[in-house]
Amino acid sequence: MRKLLVIALMTILAFSAFAQGASEKKAEEGPITLEWWTWDTGMIEQNQSIIAQYEATHPNVKINNTVIATDGGAYKTQLSVLAQQKALPNVFMLSSGDIEEWASNGLCRKLDDLVASDPDIYKKFYESMFTSLKDVAKTDYLPGFPFAYVSCDLFYNKDAFDAAGLEYPNENWTWDDFLAAAKALTIDKNGDGEIDQWGYYGYGRYAEAQAWIFANGGVLTNNTTHTFEPNQNALDAIQFMSDLVNVYKVAPSPKDMSAIKYKTIFPNQIVAMFVDGGWFADDFRKNIGDKFQWGITRVPVGPNGQAKVTYGWPDSYVISPFTEHAQAAWEFTKYIAGEGIGLDQFMAGKMPAYKALVESDAFVDMTQQPYGDMQLFRDHASDTFVTSYTQGWSEWVGYGAAESMGLNGAIDSILNGETTLAEVLPSLTESINKILSRYY
Amino acid sequence: MAEKQKFKWHSWATPWVLIFPTLVGLVVFRLIPIVSSLVLSFTKWNLITDPKFLGLKNYVDLFTDPDFWKILGNTLKITVGYVAGSMVFGLLLALLVNNKIRGMNFFRAAIYMPVITSSVAVGIVWTRILGPKYGILDFLLKKIGITAPYWLQDPKLALWTLTFVQVWKMAGYYMILFLAGLQSISHEVIEASIVDGATPTQRLFRVTIPMLAPTSFFVLTVAIMDAFKNFELIYAMTMGGPQNATNTLVYSVYLNAFSYNRVGYAESIAWVLMVVVGALTILNFFIKKYWAQPLE
Repeated sequence: MRKLLVIALMTILAFSAFAQGASEKKAEEGPITLEWWTWDTGMIEQNQSIIAQYEATHPNVKINNTVIATDGGAYKTQLSVLAQQKALPNVFMLSSGDIEEWASNGLCRKLDDLVASDPDIYKKFYESMFTSLKDVAKTDYLPGFPFAYVSCDLFYNKDAFDAAGLEYPNENWTWDDFLAAAKALTIDKNGDGEIDQWGYYGYGRYAEAQAWIFANGGVLTNNTTHTFEPNQNALDAIQFMSDLVNVYKVAPSPKDMSAIKYKTIFPNQIVAMFVDGGWFADDFRKNIGDKFQWGITRVPVGPNGQAKVTYGWPDSYVISPFTEHAQAAWEFTKYIAGEGIGLDQFMAGKMPAYKALVESDAFVDMTQQPYGDMQLFRDHASDTFVTSYTQGWSEWVGYGAAESMGLNGAIDSILNGETTLAEVLPSLTESINKILSRYY
Repeated sequence: MAEKQKFKWHSWATPWVLIFPTLVGLVVFRLIPIVSSLVLSFTKWNLITDPKFLGLKNYVDLFTDPDFWKILGNTLKITVGYVAGSMVFGLLLALLVNNKIRGMNFFRAAIYMPVITSSVAVGIVWTRILGPKYGILDFLLKKIGITAPYWLQDPKLALWTLTFVQVWKMAGYYMILFLAGLQSISHEVIEASIVDGATPTQRLFRVTIPMLAPTSFFVLTVAIMDAFKNFELIYAMTMGGPQNATNTLVYSVYLNAFSYNRVGYAESIAWVLMVVVGALTILNFFIKKYWAQPLE
């Protein structure tokens, strides 16, 4: 009886071992499932199309795409919860504003070994964007894969320039040239004492204010001491923005424009020039149509600035450090940042990292505005990219729901004429350094 | 005997079985989050890593931060303004619509409409109305030679403007509560006061309002609770600005938790908010003893 029992147990054990082996073999050979998280809710259908194409050529890989809007911090919150549980999706979009903190907490897989295994990577993608991502993350390794770059530029109303008999802005414009044009473009058209067309409008938010600051060689933080130490160039840039409103009267104050939706100010021809992210090209194509002619050029270089230094930031994919399928995730990431996507995946004015897209004829679309000015985004690829990102950036800059606070709140007060830069700087520096001291 | 058999299925466990789903709901969705929130308020937690115990540091930081006292002050000012405004306007509107004239239901519905309208939509519309230079109100005031102030951009005005919009939005709700109270007042009492020669003002202050005391107490309690639910309007209209002038405890909880990733600190603010609301509620019930007694 005992022998029979031993034989039965041995048989069960043997079958179990066989089944285990078969199961492992199946796991090795079976499809790998990659979780892919994105935040662009307008791209759900395109993403499914990308997945279908990728799965057709990679039968061993299944992709699940989760799209969560960034509104109200939903995307970041859900991703953060997964990070805390060490259950991050294999590939996910991560904001440049978060990447330093995530990298410093070991939540971004180092991609250098994977980049090194692909000698053609910088033939296909702009190396400058990879460098920019390392700068943003303040790492000596590559924490993600940039798929696009967002620059901040000067938009201008060509019809307004024509009507004023002015030359269009160009890359060689100085701040004096800009100011002279802004004065000429500030017009009370019906003589009622109210300005009907302003030369310029400064929103005071990061995408505008910091474009001026960096165009003048400005620096906001000391990356060694991790403190807020705006240099004189940065202060001069903020003062210049203030003077446009309060001294030269060529721009309305932010509080005077608060009844108008920001992105309709330029399309409604209330202002002739404005500075913001290049993505507005997409919005203006849709909302201006042929109502008037408009163009894009670089933000004028300040007296202490350098040409071809561009303020902006990369949009990136990050590969989970916890994934068991790093190679598969890497291959898929290259696909969704490169050959797998078309220009319809990008808002006009965003610069894809994939060279073939930027160099295609369709990128400078001569059938719609701003026609040849789209060349600017190609030119940016060879620029030096600068950013102000640090840990705690959202708080000290005043971003999103906090946009009335921090540096943005202070700039608002300065532009609104409620305080001066000299008055606000000591308390601003103290409060920002208090924030930064929590992180460094 | 038959009576006994009817309850044969009953045992000591029966009530527990019946309340089990509710208990689970309360524990999972109320008790655990409340306790977790309290525990987290003693930690540093950025959501992406494990919480680190800090002891009382969050509370010390909070009470030594000058911005916190400003935010607490803003919260109390909004509460006072909102509760007073809601009760006064709610009662006035209820008195206005407490008439059986033709088309009154239309006015009742119209006044109630903002209550069911999205707060964000209300905020955006009022921002357009109140905005300087290009705002509708500014345009109309200019026509009669008045220069409008910066309703939402002046730090001295912004909080009260925001409170006004919140009262405007919710006044219809309190109107319905007061209307129900008014319609429950006996006509005989009103008629008796008329026979006794009471003027309309005397009737209002000596009869109607005293008889509305239980309703008023209920409105006061609800309004105090509602006063703290001001996140959406602040988000849509001022984002806590200018210069923290409209930042409140609720908005600050959101900013710290979801914009700054300071979850532990946000929880400590939430607990201060809980203490404030709790204290006001206890005070309210204390006052009830002297106020909302039914008339003899």
